[in-house]
Amino acid sequence: MSIVGKNIPHDSAPGHVSGESVYIDDIAPSRNELLVDYFGSPFAHGRVKSLDLSDALKVPGVVALYTYKDLHHNVFGPITQDEILLVEDVAEFIGQPIVVIAAESRAAIKAAKQAIKLDMEELKPILSVDDAIAAGQYLDKTYKIERGNVAAAFSTADHIIEGRFVIAGADHFYLESQACLVHPGEYNQLTVHSSTQNPSEVQHVVAHLLGLQLNQVVCLIKRMGGGFGGKECQATHPAVMASLVALKTKRPARIVYSKDDDMKYTGKRHPYQNDYKVAFDSEGMITALEANLYADGGAYNDLSTAVLGRSLTHIDNAYYLPNLLAVGKICKTNFPPNTAFRGFGGPQGAITIENIMEEIAAYLGKDAYEIRRKNCYGVNDRNVTHYGQLLVNNTLPQIFDELSQSCDYAERLAAVKKFNAESKTHLKGLSFTGLKFGISFTNKFLNQANALVNIYLDGTIQVSTGATEMGQGVNTNIKMLVADEFAIAHEHVIVMTTSTEKNNNTSATAASSATDLNGSAAVNACKKIKERLNAVAANYFAGREVGIGAYSDSIVYRDGFVFDERRPQVKLTFPELVNLAYRERVSLGERGHYITPAIGFDWSVGKGSPFLYFTNGASCSEVLIDRFTGELKVERVDILMDIGKSINPGLNRGQITGAFIQGMGWMTTEDLRYAASGALLSYSPTTYKIPNIYDTPPVFNVDTIDNDCTVNVKGSKAVGEPPLLLAFSVFFAVKNALSYVSGKEIPTLVTPASGEEILSRLTEYKLKAAGLPFKYWPSETSSVLPRAQSRATGRSMKNRLLSGANGNVSGNGNGSAKSKEEQELAAEAAI
Amino acid sequence: MRDYILLYVNGLEQRISAAQAFQPASDYLRLDLGHCGTKVVCAEGDCGACSVMVGRLAAAGDHAELQHVPINSCIQYLYQLDCTHLITVEGLKVDGQLNPVQQSMVDSNGAQCGYCTPGFVVAMCGLANDLQSEQNQEKCEGKPCHPSEKQVKDSLTGNLCRCTGYEAIINAGMAVDLGRFKTFSELYPDKEMVANFKAHAQNELMLKAGGRTAYNPTSVQSACKFLSEQEKVVIVSGGTDVSVNMNKRDLAPANVMSTAALPGLTELKVIESNDRNERKILSVGAKVTLRQLEHSMKDLVPEFHNILWVYGSPQIRHAGTLAGNIANGSPIADSTPFLFLMEAEIEVTGCSGTRKIPMAEFYKGYKQLSLHKDELITRILLPLPQANELVKLYKISRRQHLDISAFTAAIRITLKGNIIEKAFVVFGGVGPVVMRCPEVEAALTGKAHELATYEAAGKIAKETIAPITDVRGSRDFRLTLAENIMTKFYYETASSERELACR
Repeated sequence: MSIVGKNIPHDSAPGHVSGESVYIDDIAPSRNELLVDYFGSPFAHGRVKSLDLSDALKVPGVVALYTYKDLHHNVFGPITQDEILLVEDVAEFIGQPIVVIAAESRAAIKAAKQAIKLDMEELKPILSVDDAIAAGQYLDKTYKIERGNVAAAFSTADHIIEGRFVIAGADHFYLESQACLVHPGEYNQLTVHSSTQNPSEVQHVVAHLLGLQLNQVVCLIKRMGGGFGGKECQATHPAVMASLVALKTKRPARIVYSKDDDMKYTGKRHPYQNDYKVAFDSEGMITALEANLYADGGAYNDLSTAVLGRSLTHIDNAYYLPNLLAVGKICKTNFPPNTAFRGFGGPQGAITIENIMEEIAAYLGKDAYEIRRKNCYGVNDRNVTHYGQLLVNNTLPQIFDELSQSCDYAERLAAVKKFNAESKTHLKGLSFTGLKFGISFTNKFLNQANALVNIYLDGTIQVSTGATEMGQGVNTNIKMLVADEFAIAHEHVIVMTTSTEKNNNTSATAASSATDLNGSAAVNACKKIKERLNAVAANYFAGREVGIGAYSDSIVYRDGFVFDERRPQVKLTFPELVNLAYRERVSLGERGHYITPAIGFDWSVGKGSPFLYFTNGASCSEVLIDRFTGELKVERVDILMDIGKSINPGLNRGQITGAFIQGMGWMTTEDLRYAASGALLSYSPTTYKIPNIYDTPPVFNVDTIDNDCTVNVKGSKAVGEPPLLLAFSVFFAVKNALSYVSGKEIPTLVTPASGEEILSRLTEYKLKAAGLPFKYWPSETSSVLPRAQSRATGRSMKNRLLSGANGNVSGNGNGSAKSKEEQELAAEAAI
Repeated sequence: MRDYILLYVNGLEQRISAAQAFQPASDYLRLDLGHCGTKVVCAEGDCGACSVMVGRLAAAGDHAELQHVPINSCIQYLYQLDCTHLITVEGLKVDGQLNPVQQSMVDSNGAQCGYCTPGFVVAMCGLANDLQSEQNQEKCEGKPCHPSEKQVKDSLTGNLCRCTGYEAIINAGMAVDLGRFKTFSELYPDKEMVANFKAHAQNELMLKAGGRTAYNPTSVQSACKFLSEQEKVVIVSGGTDVSVNMNKRDLAPANVMSTAALPGLTELKVIESNDRNERKILSVGAKVTLRQLEHSMKDLVPEFHNILWVYGSPQIRHAGTLAGNIANGSPIADSTPFLFLMEAEIEVTGCSGTRKIPMAEFYKGYKQLSLHKDELITRILLPLPQANELVKLYKISRRQHLDISAFTAAIRITLKGNIIEKAFVVFGGVGPVVMRCPEVEAALTGKAHELATYEAAGKIAKETIAPITDVRGSRDFRLTLAENIMTKFYYETASSERELACR
């Protein structure tokens, strides 16, 4: 019986539940170890006039202070090398490191920070997408994907809606903050224990900035206490600082960010401001889309180029767009560089089209599911993406049909309408959103992995890959894949600490593809060993059983035994075979390498097939809103996904529920609030509210379809990121609820749909219905701003009133035609 | 006077010197003892990763001598934990094997990255321990017995997980076989600890190090004396806010005085009145925890119970007290609107005796209390609503559980027929102190209990208050809430509309 497909507990679970799992800050301090922290810029934008460290150096317990002058290089970046680690002249965000502090105690670090004398001139910061556009500040060139003839389609369109969709950022809120411990070795070699998703990048950046050869730096990562993309690039900063101290002082050095500092000074999910113009017919079929995506990149590029690329390739989500022009820019602002976060720009693209679906439905007075189903990618036609990739084995229509049935969409829609017509105290909303997420790194060269498999003489195995464990269970998957190859108990396989010493030039554990890539590499390594073992076994069985020749091809591994399938009664145990092979001087270790086949993309034309396959799904959410307070309850969620054949269904379910709830937090309660200076105000769980146990929907149906036709390892599909996008159904259920009270307007809603945002919209529509003006909150100049300063206020939006032909069918009793004056007043109030 | 803290950690005795005492328990566990299973994430009691069980001497008559409750070790400083037993995640295995809670978390995939897991496991073990009280053990006799979904969720609102979406954790909790769970008193026989605690409790704790003093008086008189003689004394009850300020805002008072060793002050009882028309009064001792109050309110005042249910988290409520919440003086305190509404009296004791301060006179300004230097709160006298009164309490926050309010309101109406005879309206989060709103009360009094009355009152509420914009919400948001809450109250209390309101 194959182990693949079984529910094996996470390989670290027993350690997790007993507190025995070790994270960076749990490693026992070694003699002489130094604590490392840093002193950063107080301004979002400022120029250093003078820096005096003399007093700080005198603080008892302070061992060393370093500035950019102590680095060999100071500029780095994964895509474009534009990031300054330690401020030289101009600081670009609050908290950008200026001085690295090495000390014997926390008290000394604190005293040193107070004793550093920094004179800095404050420069005008850019703190919004609008300001960046006005200043022409971008971090990269403009990217574009185009198909068909957009201009022609608009000129003949039945209907056109224009709008702006504002998407807030979010904090990763991994529980374990950024952390690194460095042990100096001989000849300037460094052993770097980093909480990173990308040990090779830590190795590269440490070596580069400290002027070391790559082979002098070993980066190790046993596990992270969560990553979610936040440790793909930004683990490098603390790693370099600790490495600098270790290299210079020859003492072990450890840096662990406090949660507050981590939230304040590391990058987040990219906020976006997306302007769109969509053409569609009276049935709701989209004929053209024009979208201008503005990503808020923060101060440096980091991974923004790739994030934006994924937004552009996911602007279609589950829907066929015959004519399209999608243009993307990355705005440079004075915030910490925004970075990878589960979904990697895909969500910010996909949510835009989901918003459009909801708006077309409201405009036409039709049901949004009907609009979505109509526009859904087809199986045999309408099945080529806007960048030219053919959808092979497209399961989207099946998923839409099956989920809409199993979640009783039609009945519940009728019940919601009835409820909203009757209840004076609450509003309900229902929404069904789709999901198509491309799997592979969009940078082709990253789609490779290597794995090292060592078999020991008792038949047990150690596997090492470049994959990093952050809770998602990649190590458990790889353990199962390797155990499966040799048909041995999974307990006999251990996946070792990830180390650049064992696996070189690895890609980040990212893009949901760690199991795909590293698991495949491990399987390839096993296959190479098996070829050799098979020869040994074949000879052995041929020698013992007169009548059969030595045929490697007929060697079978099953339930811990090895035999020739022609003589299954004569068996070797796996350890016996391993010992035979050892005595025959056969190598029992191997490296496997894997490359994702047949992918590629050319940005110069915006065309290609960048993805090996797509992970698909859909979800339906029902919400309840308090009309007086804006309080939101997610009452029921149904999810259906195509994730191929699961290697471990239990782990996959955890990825689906976890990603969904994380996405729901982004869409509802997680609200990044900034001061006018650019300082983050919601920098701890006191004010930044990720979902709590009671926020998990009371009815939460999660299921998968059967799909045996996936090209990936063991027929599995990646699942780490995609389900996060399913949480859009929660947001659009709120928007749907608002459509019952928004009068003649298409309701506007920006993320997150917090109680305050919802109440502001309820108030807006209540006032407008009474012919009164409404000014978006905060209505007065305030020192506290939401990140998305340019709220969707109606500016640059056209055709936001419901289609006259269909009127308002949402049954709110507010459908009577308003006078022209009233309409003008309403439009004015919206500005 | 005693100059060391007596503490047991996972059954082993520890003596902690003054030099070590001024640190949170979580730092002591991780740095001094190397028990790194206890994680510190937020260092302010908002994530639960640092949860440990604390066992204290129970009041006389309870079945076990040490009662164990979950707390956030990051905001419990060691001087608060004298004569207690801490059980950390490392101390939960039984004979080297995972206990039923731990095993269930493994089997149900309740752990992903693992960083929050120790906190969840500890809190869940706390639930299992509670449910395995003697009467429950009898109930479970011979058949599998599991916590309910509500019990699991209620016990875990103080723990944040970013990986699982909680589903697997809820399933893990509901799959725990309680019959196989060994209680803490079985796992750690407490006879020796109890004897040691009782012997030590006689001897007052006074710790001095680095210019700082921590003092745990054993009588109210000596507490008052200390307050009168020393400057800059911070009184620590549950410490759930004071300790946050120590961790995050450099609060390092020269003197801290913990109420932990004060005898009595644990009274929680209804004072029956002889006069049938007279209101019953609940007497709440200063050491009564919010958790104990929550339990007592379940039947007495369900409306207040609902507020206490979402107040902080179990870990916070097991540490925090009503007296502490009052003394902390926050304008967004969750307990105080109800105290204003019911015209509670605060009993304070000083060197020259005891006096009562009406709630309405207790605050002089933002965090300014009308307490004399030598006084501390000893009791709260809380009049309870009568059957003919309509009472509603509101707490609006970004998230339902474990969130500080953006806005609070409390409304109490007495009807005569359909006419509002008396009205009390209290708002929190709209100014420097929790406040009654006489203008709104006047707008209601004598009017019919109908929608128009409340809509008009809402408009007055909006005009009367002057909230600010901060990280928890804009001024507009708070103004609108104050207006709308009056209408909401109407729909929730008007009999003809009640059906609609309750859906």
